[in-house]
Amino acid sequence: MGAIFRRLGTHLLFCLVGVLFVLPLWWSLASSLRPLDEIFKFTSPFSINALIPQHLDLSAYVNIFADKGFGRAIFNSLLVAVTTVLGGLIVNGLAGFAFAVIQFPGRQILFFITVLTFLVPFETISVPLYGVIKSFGWIDTYYALVMPGLANGVVIFLFRQFFGQIPRELAEAARLDGAGWLTILWKIYLPLSKPVVISGGLLLFLFQWEAFLWPLISTRSEQLRVIQVALAGFEQRYATLWNELFAASILATLIPLLILLPLQRFYIQGVTASGFKG
Amino acid sequence: MRQQVWIAYLLLLPALICLAVFRLYPIAAAVFGSLVADSLTEPGSQVFVGLRNYLQLFADPIFWQSLWVTIKLNLVINPLQVILATLLAVMANQRFRGISFYRLLFFIPLGVSLPIASILWRIMLDPNSGLINSILNVFGIPSQPFLINENQALWSIIAVATWKGVSFWMIFIWAGLQNIPRELLEAATIDGADRFRRFLRITLPLLRRPLLFVLVTDTAVNFLLFVPMFLLTRGGPSYSTNVLMYEAYKSGFIYGDMGRALALVVILLLLVVATVMVQFRLFSREAEH
Repeated sequence: MGAIFRRLGTHLLFCLVGVLFVLPLWWSLASSLRPLDEIFKFTSPFSINALIPQHLDLSAYVNIFADKGFGRAIFNSLLVAVTTVLGGLIVNGLAGFAFAVIQFPGRQILFFITVLTFLVPFETISVPLYGVIKSFGWIDTYYALVMPGLANGVVIFLFRQFFGQIPRELAEAARLDGAGWLTILWKIYLPLSKPVVISGGLLLFLFQWEAFLWPLISTRSEQLRVIQVALAGFEQRYATLWNELFAASILATLIPLLILLPLQRFYIQGVTASGFKG
Repeated sequence: MRQQVWIAYLLLLPALICLAVFRLYPIAAAVFGSLVADSLTEPGSQVFVGLRNYLQLFADPIFWQSLWVTIKLNLVINPLQVILATLLAVMANQRFRGISFYRLLFFIPLGVSLPIASILWRIMLDPNSGLINSILNVFGIPSQPFLINENQALWSIIAVATWKGVSFWMIFIWAGLQNIPRELLEAATIDGADRFRRFLRITLPLLRRPLLFVLVTDTAVNFLLFVPMFLLTRGGPSYSTNVLMYEAYKSGFIYGDMGRALALVVILLLLVVATVMVQFRLFSREAEH
């Protein structure tokens, strides 16, 4: 008996925590499928119908694409995020490989500087960075959105830790056979690096998908609006079109989740293998 | 072998150039920019004004108010997020039938960006028709003002940011938990240590590195927390959520006073570095005992 009660208690606790995480999204999903005049029909006083969609009214989803230009914003965010992932994996992966595998003068000081950069979050430097980007003539271009996100201290750190755990004898044997560093990277390290490519890639993707302050100040035109800025602008302009606001929020959440959840296991593996142990 | 060392620099070059141009140079530019002001006699040029921007800040009660709000926020939110993320990681690390479903639920806020979390919670925290108040009413608790009350706004923002943040920090602690050898915990069980004692004596000390990583990066993130204030409260009511980062944004991009904005950014950077150094000190000292 005691065992059954304990197991029940565990499930109850886990359910409660799970509900805390899911409730806001579930409610938004249910509300996004309602006609506008019924959004608050069941919330005050509260009835459980607030959490159960009564109709499957997809007009909110249609409207955000047809009138409000969310298609463009989603396209922009995906374009920026995917470009950053591809470019960032190369830039940071190469650096992580050099730090982990090759002995060269200045290695420690350069790595120390790299680590320092991730203690300075992007937001603090967004004000001075604006000046840098402006002097390149990149304000209001895709360059402004992508370029500052490519090099990422955390991702370099992840790659360096991951590559550092691969036995050095492999590289040394290949060196004796006359292989160059690039061949070693390509033939030995790359095939082993799936977990770190996934966790680094996801970090870069989320960084860009969630970016808000920087796109807000570095772009102006509607053509370049990314999803988070579009959402915030929508909220300020049409604060009472609740169902469309919910629909846009749900879409902007589902896209990263659909990429993230199937890769969950690799993501943890990548972080685990990067030495977050005692 | 020696002759190929230059390859290392070649591999590092793209990353180092990007970091130098987009991270390190802006920091230097912030420090420099905080020491100059637009010239009144020659429009478009700048003059060196030394610490004037800083002295003006120190004479401004809004600066001290914002500093206090920033410190208050961080004193609460960082320990809170680290503790909750650790508890969540311990939960995610359990093994029983159905755990993968719960893990999925715990992961969900990862997909929710901070702007979206802010917007959704604003609607839910609405004083009149919000979902949270209607649920409170079901339990006989009267409706709360939340974001529009100067005593509740900061705590509401802490709740929203924590709801969004713990899943992310959990991952690093969970990864640390998975690296603890099972034999260690099993041996302690045989020695008669109960669950709580096992956690305190074995798990927690072995989690020091991931915990320190999370605490340090989380602190750096929260000192710059900006989005909820921007979207939910605009720093109000009566400056109760006006953190330094929001004040810097307002100074630079709304009032057009870059010197003041950059001075605020430099002060924030110094605050982050000082806090992180204290955290390193505390944690490594604890490790010696």
